[in-house]
Amino acid sequence: MTAAMSGSAPVHAVEAVGLRKQFGEIHAVDGIDLALEPGRIYGLLGPNGSGKTTLIRLLTGLAHATAGEARILGTRMPSRQALGQIGYMPQAEAIYPELSVGENLSFFARLEGHADRSAIDRVLDLVELSGRKGAPALELSGGMRRRLSLACTLVHDPKVLFLDEPTVGVDPALRVQFWTHFRRLAAAGTTILVASHVMDEADRCDELIFVRSGKVIGRGTGAELRANAGTDNLETAFLKLSGLDAEGRPLDGNEAVA
Amino acid sequence: MSGSRILAIARRIAQGFRRDERTLGLMFVVPLVVTALLGWVLRDTKDATVQVVMVNEAGAPGQRIVDALTTATIGAPDGVEVISHTDSEDAAKEQLRLDNGDIAIVIPASLPSDVLAGTRPTFTVITKGTEPAADAAAFGKLQSVMATLAAELAPPGAATPVIPKIARETVYLTPDADQVDVLAPIFLGFFGYFFVFLLTGISFLRERIGGTLERLLGTPVSRGEIVLGYSLGFGMFATIQIVFLTVFILNSIAVPAIGPIPAFSIGLGVDSAGSPILAFVIALLLSIGAVNLGIFLSTFARTELQVIQFIPLVIVPQGLLGGLLFPVAQLPDALNVIAHGLPLTYAIEGLREVMLKGADLSSRVVQTDLLVLAGIAVFFVILASTTIKREVA
Repeated sequence: MTAAMSGSAPVHAVEAVGLRKQFGEIHAVDGIDLALEPGRIYGLLGPNGSGKTTLIRLLTGLAHATAGEARILGTRMPSRQALGQIGYMPQAEAIYPELSVGENLSFFARLEGHADRSAIDRVLDLVELSGRKGAPALELSGGMRRRLSLACTLVHDPKVLFLDEPTVGVDPALRVQFWTHFRRLAAAGTTILVASHVMDEADRCDELIFVRSGKVIGRGTGAELRANAGTDNLETAFLKLSGLDAEGRPLDGNEAVA
Repeated sequence: MSGSRILAIARRIAQGFRRDERTLGLMFVVPLVVTALLGWVLRDTKDATVQVVMVNEAGAPGQRIVDALTTATIGAPDGVEVISHTDSEDAAKEQLRLDNGDIAIVIPASLPSDVLAGTRPTFTVITKGTEPAADAAAFGKLQSVMATLAAELAPPGAATPVIPKIARETVYLTPDADQVDVLAPIFLGFFGYFFVFLLTGISFLRERIGGTLERLLGTPVSRGEIVLGYSLGFGMFATIQIVFLTVFILNSIAVPAIGPIPAFSIGLGVDSAGSPILAFVIALLLSIGAVNLGIFLSTFARTELQVIQFIPLVIVPQGLLGGLLFPVAQLPDALNVIAHGLPLTYAIEGLREVMLKGADLSSRVVQTDLLVLAGIAVFFVILASTTIKREVA
């Protein structure tokens, strides 16, 4: 932040330099460089097992990198101080089923050092769970639990948001509201990285990052990626960048596909 | 280290319990029910009369003894009664097999010649052998039989030997203290350990597999804060549990008979010789160790069932070796060494010193026990916190 104020090179919200993570023989993240600007929404797209979740865990400091480094707002991860600026919504519904909706929220707010009630009511409104504040989380439907999990992530006004498949199980109307809110947060300067394996939300992002086998295989706006691939379909563009044709067969007949 | 984050974790554990009546029952009601049941069994088990079958292989002189014993034990004044006679060991054994008697006393054929020769005759006592504890109790009651025998065996004209009665006194407690008084300190240590271990192990396993631990580590909370928050949260429940159990063990309220319900009492009414507060501190230190042992071992479990599998591995050996069933000092050497590596051993020793012998903080034994338990608790706190980030999802 001091760098930004002094007018030199601005601090990136999220930065990865030569990030690698190896599990035995598997290269889950295989040399990723990233620099994400504040106030933008990034879509991290790739099939299951492409390394999206591992990349997020490395960026948030939850996993130790085999090589390279990750920085959040200029702080090298892992850093507990920087975690206070981060909101991380994992793929699993990380909420306590035996606690009520309100108790879950106030628990996470306290851990983040934000104990004010207005923040809790605000996020409850956002995910439309105000009426269920006293209900035990285990009585909620799957979609409601997803919404509660998102609310717990947003309750401390994080500057950087990592959302792993945030809209799975959320109905279309509410999904639109989520995106409207994400857009509002971005306008206020929050950087958002949304991991997904579905392409239909991709066009809501400012920029897309295609990953496959732990590597970034394409980056740009949806329009750019489509134009470069000569197609009007993002999925085809992804496959083409992966070296596959529209049916998932190798473009080059000699290339073996596992 | 942030106090408010530690409190937040402790508070969330308490909030989770509030809706879980079954777990609350396990924590607070089960120890009372089990302790009450044990007290009932140990105190009110019927003190059965030992029924004796006399076997006379010695003819007329033997018959004199049999008759004298039969007369002397009518109505079982000393808890022993002769109920039948036979003239062969085999017939007596058959009676015992048929449950017509608990014990057979064989008067040997050599009795007359032994007495004449001045050697002591050997009487054989036959028991069923399937219940060693009951057999030992029956043996103890033969004292009165022996007195009668000695009188009958005295040569005619000789003075009857004087067999003294034995009166009992004890250094600690009173001679009429029962098993319950002696076992009370052990109940206190064992329940504090067992339930707290089980609940923390499962609770923390849920954090690990449910994704909430991952989520916690995505906040500024530190490992130490998580472990301390857990110790505080479960320590609070252990405290309430121990207070309940201590009050139940030390007090007793008599309930008079109402209609068909006979009179009974609530609570065991054990007299603690020492400070109940000191006993409480010992039990609490043990529980804090148990919380963190639970967190540590949850690393090695993948399901709740696997946490349950630690019970025979972690709890049962401590029960066997820690002084719950057998005195530690009487264990074989190798097991004695192992017993001194187990926290329950020190807790039970300390609790017995305080509650039975009235030891206070000036006692070397109590000081050692407190130090060792505190050391074990600190060790497990550190061990538990090192396991928290060490996993790869």
